[in-house]
Amino acid sequence: MMGELILRNLVHRPMRTFIALAGIGFEVMLIITIVGLTGGLLTETAKRIEGIGADVMLQPPAASPLLSFSGAPMPAKIAERVAELKYVRDVAPALLQFNSSSAVETIWGIDKDSFRAVSGGFVFLAGHDMEGPDDMLVDDWAAKAKNLKAGDTYNVFNHDWYIAGIVEHGKGARIFVPLATLQALVAARDKASIFLIKCTRPEHTDAVMDEMRSLLPGYTVRPLRDFLSLMTSTNIPGLNSFISAMIALAVCIGLLVIFLTMYTSVIERTRDIGVLKSLGANHWFVIRSLLSESAVLCLLGVAAGVALSYLVRAGFLWKFPTLSILITPDWIFNAGMIALAGAMLGATYPAWLASRKDAVEALSYD
Amino acid sequence: MAIAVTITEPAESRIFQGKKSVEPILRTENLWKLYRAGKVEVPALRGVNFEVLPGESVAVMGPSGCGKSSLLYVIGGLAQATRGKVLVDGNDLTALTDSARTKLRRSKIGFVFQRFNLLPTLTAKGNIAIAQFIHGDGFDPHRFDVVTQMLGLAGRLQHKPSELSGGEQQRVAIARAIINEPKILLADEPTGNLDSKNSEIVLQMLRQLNKELGQTIVMITHNPEATTYFDRVVHMRDGVIVDGVPAD
Repeated sequence: MMGELILRNLVHRPMRTFIALAGIGFEVMLIITIVGLTGGLLTETAKRIEGIGADVMLQPPAASPLLSFSGAPMPAKIAERVAELKYVRDVAPALLQFNSSSAVETIWGIDKDSFRAVSGGFVFLAGHDMEGPDDMLVDDWAAKAKNLKAGDTYNVFNHDWYIAGIVEHGKGARIFVPLATLQALVAARDKASIFLIKCTRPEHTDAVMDEMRSLLPGYTVRPLRDFLSLMTSTNIPGLNSFISAMIALAVCIGLLVIFLTMYTSVIERTRDIGVLKSLGANHWFVIRSLLSESAVLCLLGVAAGVALSYLVRAGFLWKFPTLSILITPDWIFNAGMIALAGAMLGATYPAWLASRKDAVEALSYD
Repeated sequence: MAIAVTITEPAESRIFQGKKSVEPILRTENLWKLYRAGKVEVPALRGVNFEVLPGESVAVMGPSGCGKSSLLYVIGGLAQATRGKVLVDGNDLTALTDSARTKLRRSKIGFVFQRFNLLPTLTAKGNIAIAQFIHGDGFDPHRFDVVTQMLGLAGRLQHKPSELSGGEQQRVAIARAIINEPKILLADEPTGNLDSKNSEIVLQMLRQLNKELGQTIVMITHNPEATTYFDRVVHMRDGVIVDGVPAD
């Protein structure tokens, strides 16, 4: 009977129900998408770094795992010293340059021979390897996003690059250019942002890392096998605060929507509440009916929000193919719980208000 | 059988002749109800003494503002008395907490209102069934069928209030009020919003409930003709009962 009462109340005012569903759905979608975007970005970046195939990465002291924001503070000659270490097979310097003028992207300047030695080389989908100083390699996702193909010209850092080849994604960056050209372009001659190290055998990784720490005290030495575990929001300064702020914003939206919906419902149903009380309904019955209605509204909103999240993700990926939005069951559950908690909080005051209504006054309400 | 005897005999005569063979199911003693309008207290009831026997039907008449509705709400436990006592089936409402009064109302009182007061979102069936649900005994299909058939609602149960005539809505309201077999049915001008034909149908049904099921009824009305369906008529003026004579 309670279920029927709730259902009929929801159907009775379809526009109000729709607006409440949309509000909750937007809240849930916002949480899932924001968390999915950051999680997707971090995971996808980590997988690309792991996909290089190197065993160890050397960065400047106190460097972030988020490589896009690396500068070029290390002398490239460090590669020679690291290469002399026992169990080190190959060392590849890379200069990472963040470009936000024409698009938001990170360009990797690499030495093609050492990078090939460390990574095992690219899989070419079109074109060929870099041969000239202005050659550029673009991975398939970036090529799709930017509508580039082998033989095209692409301007970055006020420099026209020739797209020599389209390579399979997953080798660190999406765009590669010759190291020397990039160093000259950004005034970082003989500098590198990171060094990728390949050990003679994977089980030598720890030994190599120990040696590197002795050789270069204070520098950041990371094993790439667990790079994925480093790429979490807690390891990226400010990211957790950003996510928390966005979730708080989303919760406020959901809470206010439910509050307004239930508040107006209570006002509108004043006489109905009086009737229920005349039938012997106690405070708890009135509270329970309104909270249950809010919970049902919220759960329907959560379902709508999850569907909306997938829709938004599809839209994003269609428009920006290089983006990665990670929608996980964990965060669908979390977003649902957050929305439910917000909805219950938003419905508490109207429900309490309804339960306290004087039955006689409620019955004479017009 | 004892109840049947009580019903056929005019109740007033028993009370006033001091032959109280049956304890009143409803009694008020020096009942006062004051409403506060700003800093002023407005008395709605000024020491009402009133008794209703089990199985009796009583019509309460009086001009607007004389305290009829206040009396109904106080004896129904919807409003708290300011002073005095209200005894419903031996329970003093004035001594009960709000929660206990609600519980007592749930089990012993049924209300019928002038404006029907059906829940607009529910069907006729839902409006009746919700009373059973609140009562806590769950849906009783047998009782439901008996009541709805008796009130001629069998073919209208799936309709919402907006799809029913005024007479049908009031019959649904009566069905809702009696579905849990309350000791007392309180009706607040149940024919006030009905045309004469539907008024007569509703009054006949109330009389049928009283005569055939022994339902105790207290009804407020402005309509002198309506009082002919009742055992006794009580007149109120300025918050007090001014007389109490058997109806013809």
